[in-house]
Amino acid sequence: MKQAVRDQLGRIIAAALLATIVWAWFWRPPFSWTFGVLVVIGTVGAGIADGRYALRRIAGVIPVLVGVSFVVFALMASLPGDPAINILGPAATADQIAIVRTELGLDEPFFNRYGNWLGGVLTGDLGTSIVLREDVADGISRSMTPTLQIMAYSVVIALGFAVPLGIWAGYRQGTKTDGAINNVMLGFLATPNFVLAVMLVLFLAIGGLSVAGNEIGVRVLPAARYVPLGEDVVLHFKHMLLPSLALAMGQAAVFMRLLRSDMIATLRLPFIDLARSKGLPTRRILWRHALRPSSFTLLTVVGLTVGLLIGGALIVEFIFTIPGVGAYIFLGVTQRDFIAVQGGVLVISTLYIVVLTMSDFLYLALDPRLRGREVGARA
Amino acid sequence: MRKRLGFVFWVAVAYLVVLAVAAVFADVLPIKDPAETFPGTSKQGPSLSHWFGNDGVGRDVFSRVIYGAQVSLVISTVGTVLALVIGGLLGMVSGYYSSRVDRWLTATLNASLVIPPLILFLALVLFLDGEAKRRIFILVFTFVLLSIAPIARVVRAATLSWAGQDFVLAAKTLGARDGRVLFREILPNVAPSFVSYSLIIMAGLIVVEGSVAFLGLSVPPPTPTWGDMINKGRTNLDVAAHISLMPAIVMFVTVLALNFVGDKLQQYFEPRESVL
Repeated sequence: MKQAVRDQLGRIIAAALLATIVWAWFWRPPFSWTFGVLVVIGTVGAGIADGRYALRRIAGVIPVLVGVSFVVFALMASLPGDPAINILGPAATADQIAIVRTELGLDEPFFNRYGNWLGGVLTGDLGTSIVLREDVADGISRSMTPTLQIMAYSVVIALGFAVPLGIWAGYRQGTKTDGAINNVMLGFLATPNFVLAVMLVLFLAIGGLSVAGNEIGVRVLPAARYVPLGEDVVLHFKHMLLPSLALAMGQAAVFMRLLRSDMIATLRLPFIDLARSKGLPTRRILWRHALRPSSFTLLTVVGLTVGLLIGGALIVEFIFTIPGVGAYIFLGVTQRDFIAVQGGVLVISTLYIVVLTMSDFLYLALDPRLRGREVGARA
Repeated sequence: MRKRLGFVFWVAVAYLVVLAVAAVFADVLPIKDPAETFPGTSKQGPSLSHWFGNDGVGRDVFSRVIYGAQVSLVISTVGTVLALVIGGLLGMVSGYYSSRVDRWLTATLNASLVIPPLILFLALVLFLDGEAKRRIFILVFTFVLLSIAPIARVVRAATLSWAGQDFVLAAKTLGARDGRVLFREILPNVAPSFVSYSLIIMAGLIVVEGSVAFLGLSVPPPTPTWGDMINKGRTNLDVAAHISLMPAIVMFVTVLALNFVGDKLQQYFEPRESVL
């Protein structure tokens, strides 16, 4: 029984993750639940595949999380200026300042404050935002939805471009096609996502350049605004297309280059010659035989890019006025709302660490060759 | 077969040199004052007297792009050089001394990568207030912080592969001290890979600086920066797209050229297929 589970682990885990996402999509549980279920699935999967490794990995994550929370808290605590004065304004009296300081707990020693905050964090309480006068945890889980949507769409778009192009460029290595694909993708790699976003708005949303009276560009897509998925599905995707594209193309370039070099390595292996001599069509060899062994690095890197995507999402949210978590932190920064900022940074870093660990576990589940041995240092 | 860098490589190098020279000698060159508003030229497109056109209040976009290059180039160059020294040193030490030192350094570096760069940046930006000099200092500090870990990783990997070679063993057998082995034997071999990688890091820093300036958090106006010009130009995107377009193109070409040169150099020094 256990052996059978082990053999099919990759498929079971993938199906379970998909089921969780679908469940979360329709049932709309609190964000932390979805998160918890995903972690449990990954851990159980990794535990079956290689229990000791999974344990060690999880034990390694905890000090990192504590370290991050400490760094974030210390950073915010060492901000110049008195937060109480920032809230009340320069005209505040000494009494008022004293009251606000007590309210924020600023009179206590540093480590007491850190302990209190960390205790609150563990029970899901990130404090109350100074400016918005709102629970930070609520604010973040509200703004998480648009951010996760943009990130998910852009990963899908990026893979949609990268996988076919990477396979083709790897197959045609050294030819003009390969060179052309490479150069175009190098171009996208060099385009900062805010530049790409502005260009996309210019050429696809507001009619583009007019040269000698002729418009180069179209007005087919809306420029900015966020429409929730529940409100209008078509409008939602229409509004999300430009932001996701702006975020996706740089990633597509990275993914494509990775897949291309792994494809080149795979295509040199003997089993490809065997497949060829059996007379299998090229398309089948590329997509069925060569893609799977070539895609493991890609898979890990997709996990790693989540950190980049979050930074990119911030910019894209700023341009397209989407109320995401990046916009939330940005607002906190401009208004010097340190409680909101430290909450946001902590949640995002935690998310990132969890995704990284999960992608390791997924790796383990998908590639049976790795079980029982350390997943080595990765890019 | 002799290796060649190719024509495009030299074009890219020439472009970078011209841009750097223009930025450095901007005060001496016969270009217009970036702060001067030319009456009646607001939102005018490119012309002979104003090559890149004029912005919303009639300032010359070309000279603003050149002066904006100062900020981008200075911050990214200083950031890269400092990060190269610190990250390179850490990477070499980590790759050379095996086991415990290596494990601790690698763990710390990995842990420093878990805060997404732009988000960490935003958190640090809270410290930004006061005059431009302090801001530049904090920007450079943050950029160094961001680029140490990736550089250290690359250098560590390179050091690891060279440290196992016979000539290193030979040097050790002859009684060379660790410092000598690191700097005289390993450094010359590792240097090419990290010089070419540093160009790619520099391109990355230009993008980050641009993003930060775009959000209005870099060097404050009136100093022109590319990101800020692109952002301000967005309000006139429908009537005078060149205000955003020109700095965007220059930035794109600069980043592309840096990436390209770095890529080519890497292939030149290290013929195996390079990834990323």
